[in-house]
Amino acid sequence: MIAAIVDDGAPPVSGFVESAFSPLAYQAVSQCLTGLQCPTGQPSPTGRPADGARTALVLASTMGDADTLDLGSRRLVAGQVNNPLLFMQSTANAILGRICLDFAITGPTLAISVLGDLAGELLATAELLRADEDPDRIVLVGVELAGSERAAAAHRELGTCPPAASAAVAIALDRGEEIPPVPPAGPATYGSLRGLAEVAARIRGATP
Amino acid sequence: MSREVLLTGFGVRTAFGSGADALREGVFDGRPAFAPITRFDTGPYRTGLAATAGEAVPLHESLAKTATAAIGMAGLPARADAAVLVGTAGDFASLTRFWRAEAENRGTPGGTGQTVPAWQAEALAGELGARGPRLAFTNACVASATAIVHACRLIASGRVDIAICAGAYLVEEENLAKFGSGFALSRDGMVRPFCAGRSGLLLGDGAAAVVLESADSARRRGARALAALTGWGAACDAYHVAKPHPDGAGLASAARQALRRAGDPRIDYVNAHGTATKANDPAETRGLRALFGDRAEAVPVSSTKSTTGHLLEAAGVVELVITLLALRDGVLPPTAGFTEPDPACDLDYVPNRPLRAEIRRAMSVNAAFGGANTALVLERA
Repeated sequence: MIAAIVDDGAPPVSGFVESAFSPLAYQAVSQCLTGLQCPTGQPSPTGRPADGARTALVLASTMGDADTLDLGSRRLVAGQVNNPLLFMQSTANAILGRICLDFAITGPTLAISVLGDLAGELLATAELLRADEDPDRIVLVGVELAGSERAAAAHRELGTCPPAASAAVAIALDRGEEIPPVPPAGPATYGSLRGLAEVAARIRGATP
Repeated sequence: MSREVLLTGFGVRTAFGSGADALREGVFDGRPAFAPITRFDTGPYRTGLAATAGEAVPLHESLAKTATAAIGMAGLPARADAAVLVGTAGDFASLTRFWRAEAENRGTPGGTGQTVPAWQAEALAGELGARGPRLAFTNACVASATAIVHACRLIASGRVDIAICAGAYLVEEENLAKFGSGFALSRDGMVRPFCAGRSGLLLGDGAAAVVLESADSARRRGARALAALTGWGAACDAYHVAKPHPDGAGLASAARQALRRAGDPRIDYVNAHGTATKANDPAETRGLRALFGDRAEAVPVSSTKSTTGHLLEAAGVVELVITLLALRDGVLPPTAGFTEPDPACDLDYVPNRPLRAEIRRAMSVNAAFGGANTALVLERA
């Protein structure tokens, strides 16, 4: 079991612009799959599984890529032409597809939006995938952006909290590894990712 | 343990109106619903056409209406222990409203929470009084199909007895602008899947919900099964961020999974994704050829997006309802607007007119950005 927490920025991913959402997701998953900076993991030069069809990838976020959505909407309201790259990256599928391409993953990909217990839903989804398909590897990734005025307004209405800084947390679970329980939520600085950050920190033997 | 999954109720709304008869008169008659959009100024956009159902209503109202109809048909009791799984990207009209108000210094409008996909699932569960897990699926054009796959997993594994799966998309400015910027929209006001002259998609209003439940649950309640969902699959192309694999590899893989789970039965009809884009249709054709092999030309395939438009997050669940009607009525919906065949698309696409055919099993396939693919196998009850 390998976990990664990326909360201090991520290198750009070609083709993805203006928003940190996709680079954060990519970096967290990449760190897990290659074992880089993951003290408990087995480093893998490419991170590619033996059988990509037996790897599942699940992304969860409450708000999704709010920065891309909001930028597109602001341009629309201002009467400006939409950047085709924003169209391309406007759904989480785009970065999931990029991760699948780079790591040769051809199993199921899911993108979910959760209010509340994001870690619990991700881990429950992992259990469900195990019960249904028993994949060799399940990669879970949670991403949340610090957000725009619109995201802040939505958080106020929903009674949820944005993270103090944009962050992504990924966990890779291999077949036979016990799915960890959801611990009490970690620091509120991670917003909806706080439960997941706590799980990841325990896997890494550190505090989030 | 793997439990049988039955479909016991549905509700649906498209540009043709609400309910099965509206679909029969529009989709099954091969009558495209495209007309000028009147709910906002389309001047700045590449097209002013879409398949809309009059004035827009809030997305959650569409979800609630179709889910209430599905529950009524299934005879579910109030406050059922049901999961609520919704394919949605949130309410885009609320997103535009927020930024317009900001630009005009009008303060923050209410309803901004509706832009959050998870809110839509929570609100629907609250409206229905459903007490099970609730989740929103945001995988674009496979969102509601993925919700259905998830529901099948939940029911088959014994985690829940009943799931209400829904999806909704209503035509609005944000996606009209985005799809325009991506040069994905039709240039001739028609959606012509699998034709040589196809030039892209048009958007459409769509909302639907289905009630899925275990056979034990349906039996206990005395509910009538409309069909059985015997197979499901999901797979990724791992090919390109926006383009499908040219051989339809992920689509074929998802479909193979679904068929394997269903016991490798003979499929009598495929409701295709068929977006009428240059890249999708030949890729999907090759995927279906790889799936069916020598039988490929004998399996009727149609794309009902030629009449309803592309329903984005709602496509999977609306097209499952259309597939259900095809099974139950013994009529295959045509691919409307079909003109000159494309040599790269060489299957039987049920051109322009409905086809009467007694079918036992059908498959609905969907694909999305990032190479995500789903397949569902439906069998007559």
